[in-house]
Amino acid sequence: MTELKIAYSPLNDAALILVAEALGFYDSEGLNVTLIREANWSNIRDKLAYGMIDAAHILAPMPFAAALGLGPSMGRIIAPMALGANGNSVLVSAKLKARLEDGGQLDSTLMGSARLLAREVERRRREGLGRLVFAVPFTWSPHHFVLRHWAASGGLDPERQIQWIVVPPSRMADMVKDGVIDGFCSGSPWPQAAQLNGHGEILFSDPDYWTLKPEKVLGVRAAWAEANPEATIALTRALLRAGQWASAPAHREDLIRILARTASVNAPWKAIELALDGSGLTFDPQTATFPWISHAKWFMGQMVRWGMLSPDHDFDQLARHVYRPDLWREAAAPMGLDCPVADEKTEGGQTTGWEIPAKPHNIIMPANQLFDGGIFRCA
Amino acid sequence: MAKTVNVLIIDPDEARAEQVAEGVRADNGAQETVIRQERHFELRMLRDFDPDMVIIACESPDRDMLEALQVANEQVPRPVVMFVDRSDDNATAKALEAGVAGYIVDGFNPKRISSILTVAAQRFAVTQGLRKDLDKAKADLAARKTIDRAKGVLMASRNLSEDDAYKALRKHAMDTGRPIQAVAADILAVSDLLKPGDSQ
Repeated sequence: MTELKIAYSPLNDAALILVAEALGFYDSEGLNVTLIREANWSNIRDKLAYGMIDAAHILAPMPFAAALGLGPSMGRIIAPMALGANGNSVLVSAKLKARLEDGGQLDSTLMGSARLLAREVERRRREGLGRLVFAVPFTWSPHHFVLRHWAASGGLDPERQIQWIVVPPSRMADMVKDGVIDGFCSGSPWPQAAQLNGHGEILFSDPDYWTLKPEKVLGVRAAWAEANPEATIALTRALLRAGQWASAPAHREDLIRILARTASVNAPWKAIELALDGSGLTFDPQTATFPWISHAKWFMGQMVRWGMLSPDHDFDQLARHVYRPDLWREAAAPMGLDCPVADEKTEGGQTTGWEIPAKPHNIIMPANQLFDGGIFRCA
Repeated sequence: MAKTVNVLIIDPDEARAEQVAEGVRADNGAQETVIRQERHFELRMLRDFDPDMVIIACESPDRDMLEALQVANEQVPRPVVMFVDRSDDNATAKALEAGVAGYIVDGFNPKRISSILTVAAQRFAVTQGLRKDLDKAKADLAARKTIDRAKGVLMASRNLSEDDAYKALRKHAMDTGRPIQAVAADILAVSDLLKPGDSQ
């Protein structure tokens, strides 16, 4: 048995890591896993850097930000798979929601709500009120990029016209209630829990922004993976099996039971259920776990777009350094999963199901569309 | 020295926070130390309490918030000290390299806290100093390049020596009461306008 320590954050999208333990998939792959629940992302990063843990549930942009010198080092990290797609929601205070609606019907598209947001920002400026404050769980997070992209689509300059702060997800609801922040983006089930408690209303969720949005990945210390190549594949396989189990509709109740345990996410059953229905979270190993190089480049592109990073880096090399589609194929092929032929795909622009070349059979992918119609192609 | 030192301790575990506070008091015997213990970090604490140092438990969810402030908000940089739950000198060294001012290893032992706090404070001062130097060096380099290019324009257009070109720049800066770098930038902007088009 290979000893292995894996850390996770209390979120629904840690499901594969939790399911693999609950159903004994680690054991059957020859891994003796100790799970560690962490309260913050900085700790996961630092513990990976110091070798106090071997693998973790991490925000997809984290290893790139760290490798590019944004914040403290994380050590060399590889990501053999994604841990699903979607799962985040944006919640705003009842007050802001009422302002956006202004008596009329709130436009349900993101472009529509972003224009209403811009109108509210302008009103506050005219009346000498402070900027709207939005919270994200980490500076280098998909949440931050989604909110900025949304605001910009309404004609706002997110850097100057909105104030951003970092707040732990478990405390975001209280800060909305207390009027400290006007809204936040967080992984499920925290926005759903906040809405159930009457602390605000969900404005949109990941699939409204991007129907198949990348979010968390499995981060493994490169040194550990190099010393334990077979265990790295075994770990990936255990999590892919967890994905097969978790995405089967018949296992839904059991999935919620696993997530709701105090030691896992520790949120109310109702909130978890609402989140699984509403946040578009998907664990299908065939369509939502491949570590697409195009995702890695999109994330780094966002860092450049928002002025966090200069464009003078070899993004292709860095993407391939961290994301390891080769390891995914090695783990997935013997399980009978179809393996994409290419490492990159066009992101966005697919309004319905579409086919990508794969072996032994092509994969039918779900729609892959960004709210603004944007299409991201790797040069 | 009579200066008061404000130390903010964030730890959901109050008993442990008390131990840390004891260690800080023991260390700062000569200085007056004001210690505030909180279970959670709030932004207003920076403004109201104005801590000289923040000590935060590693497993506090608020760590991410404080770290984001460290990275983004240059106005309120404070040394931040954290706890790790395993003793490993190598890990501590790496943490210091990584830019964290200090990791308290085995933070439960009040005796060890004092020396680490001192190191953390010194380390923070050095890092801040280096960052300021670096920023200044970058700004100086950019200014030097602008001035050199403006000198080149003057030398070519008015047939001046390098020394005279510089003197002309300096004189204009003094006459107009503006930084020499700004004058140089103006010259470059105008010279672009006067260039014959070469893209035809």
